[in-house]
Amino acid sequence: MARKLLLCIDVNGTTAARWSGGRLDECAFFGNDDEGMDSFREYAAASAGIPAFIMVDAIEEDYRFETLPHATGSERAQMVERKLRQYYRGSQFSSAALVGRDSSKRRDDRFLFSALTNPEIVAPWLAAVNEAGLPVGGIYLLPTVTSGLVNLVDGSPKNLLFVAAHPAGIRLTFFREGAFRLSRLSRTDAMGGTSDKALIEEISNTRLYLHALRAATLDEPVNVVLLDHADQFSETARAISEDNPSLQCNRLGKNEIATGLKLDAALIGDGPAVIYLHLLGSRAQAGNLASPAVTEGYRRYQWRRQLMAASVMVAAIGLAGGGFNLWQQDSIEGQIQEIARRTAQVNADYQAATRQFPAAPTSADNLKKATEVVAKLKAAAVTPERFLQVVSRAIEPFPEIALNEIGWQYRPTEFETGAATSPQAATPTPAPAAPPGPSGTLRLQSGMVSGQIRDFKGDFRQAIAAINTLADRLRKDPAVENVRILQLPLNVSPTIAMTGNTAENPAQSGSAEFRLVVVLKRPT
Amino acid sequence: MNGEDLKTLRVPILILVVMLLATAGAVYYTNTLREKADVALRQQQTQLREAQTRMQRSGDEKSIIVQYVDGYRQLQNAGIIGDEQRINWLDALRIANQRTDLFGVNYQLSTQKIYPYASEFDPGKIVLRQSEMKLDFNIVHGLDLLRFFEALREQAGGLFHLDRCLLVRTAEIGQVRYQPNIKAQCELSWITVAPEPVAGGTP
Repeated sequence: MARKLLLCIDVNGTTAARWSGGRLDECAFFGNDDEGMDSFREYAAASAGIPAFIMVDAIEEDYRFETLPHATGSERAQMVERKLRQYYRGSQFSSAALVGRDSSKRRDDRFLFSALTNPEIVAPWLAAVNEAGLPVGGIYLLPTVTSGLVNLVDGSPKNLLFVAAHPAGIRLTFFREGAFRLSRLSRTDAMGGTSDKALIEEISNTRLYLHALRAATLDEPVNVVLLDHADQFSETARAISEDNPSLQCNRLGKNEIATGLKLDAALIGDGPAVIYLHLLGSRAQAGNLASPAVTEGYRRYQWRRQLMAASVMVAAIGLAGGGFNLWQQDSIEGQIQEIARRTAQVNADYQAATRQFPAAPTSADNLKKATEVVAKLKAAAVTPERFLQVVSRAIEPFPEIALNEIGWQYRPTEFETGAATSPQAATPTPAPAAPPGPSGTLRLQSGMVSGQIRDFKGDFRQAIAAINTLADRLRKDPAVENVRILQLPLNVSPTIAMTGNTAENPAQSGSAEFRLVVVLKRPT
Repeated sequence: MNGEDLKTLRVPILILVVMLLATAGAVYYTNTLREKADVALRQQQTQLREAQTRMQRSGDEKSIIVQYVDGYRQLQNAGIIGDEQRINWLDALRIANQRTDLFGVNYQLSTQKIYPYASEFDPGKIVLRQSEMKLDFNIVHGLDLLRFFEALREQAGGLFHLDRCLLVRTAEIGQVRYQPNIKAQCELSWITVAPEPVAGGTP
């Protein structure tokens, strides 16, 4: 828990305490004189870097409950600011706290306006705090801090009046249904201390005051709790209850307060301020009277702490994330070593087993695969024999045809020939789809047959008929996929010129040459 | 937040930025280490599985070696598996020419290349290579061509695939007996098989 410097200022001086580790460490009192102020300056200087929280127990205080139209945001802030200026124009220490909504139909906002009407009581101490460079976390009125005592009272009474004898006087603080309503400090004779009579009298006065303010009528029962830090009012409580039937008076002695607040009883002996300092340090308080300018240093202090906390959190995340990763890596490395050991063992077993194998030039997989691949290669070897047989069968009935050239190939594409194809001679026989290349494509047998008509005497019609008949015979062969005529004896295209001789002498009538491409079917 | 605030908070902000960078760097770096370890673990697990599979198959492996080793060695001796045996090919050409009574064979042999039709034979990790050979010779009859290549195959000087042939008549049949009247030009591929190198030598 953060360290704090806690101050309780009253007309006589200041009670200061350091809050550390969730409890008060020590208490010191500084009188409202030069000596006390000098001592306090030294005390504050020794608390460098710790934020100071200031509480004021003074008669110059004011509380007002006000109902304002319901608003939010800047509209509400402006409205509250106007009210504060209206009520406490001369005070630099004032505040407004929203305490609830009205039960009427308009559901107006209910505010508690409070102020320290005499800033002079705080000014020298605040100056000393600022001089020491301590950030000011807030300035509060003591009664608003008192709400932390409500939980010590059994039964949650509707009307609750705390009464305590303070060095500055008798402090009476009234709570209705657990919420602060008003407080007053009644001056007593400081030399004579607080008498039972004065106490009873102030309770009665307060009762009348509550009635006048319509906070609690005289008929309503009120629970009075005497905060008896010095254990001096044990009889008084009983007397109050006996004298006034509408008052139920209980006493919280030093030990009860110490137990309820988990506070060192020995510290309470230093004075009642210790109780309120403990409440001030142990929880965040509402009703801060200090302006933003006064708490500017504390705002920076908080930002700095938040940034440092964020840095620590980021570092912790880094450490946790990095540590987790390293832990996992270490775990994985352990697994790797274990698996490597098992792998080495299996490999050693395998090596031992292979020593029993017959000597071989390569691995078993290679032996098998290479032998199988060679067998496939041998089975796939082809020769032109099938192609030549097909051509021989087809040409047998044509003694007038003489072959000049035969080409054959076993490739993914049809037989390539450099001979020009005459446009009108090419038959419309479609070519089979040729595979684009060797990778992943199957090869096929194809070839070219080139020849001429023997003893040609210029009868082109008869020659072309013979060649077409030969092509048809080839197409009808079950082994043939496709036949294309690349060249016929005569090109009758109107796009080219033509010359010739009708003489029946072969030497004068020219030759009748042709060229075919034959594609064989792939063996099934 | 004003300039005074920033001045006051400069150091904490700097510390936060440094912490963010350091944390990001540390988490990133350690995460990289962990991922590398993960990859190494998966590799090691794969190696173990392979070793276990190999061990389980060691009995089968022995049977395979017994079954295939003799045939494999014969193919090695025939020059089909392993390095090219070009002298064997030329001897085979010469003998085939003699046995088929041809008139001599001219040849051209290219440099060795990857066999382009290897995928037809599903070779796996076996590498198939080829050297293209162009032959130019004269024959009397078309059947001489078939007899020549049959004789060449019988020499067992290697494994070849015939790719292409062109037969061109050079004279009328029967003009002169036992004289070449057909010119043959053929292309074939001498194929060799190279097994995958075995890590750590042969078993």
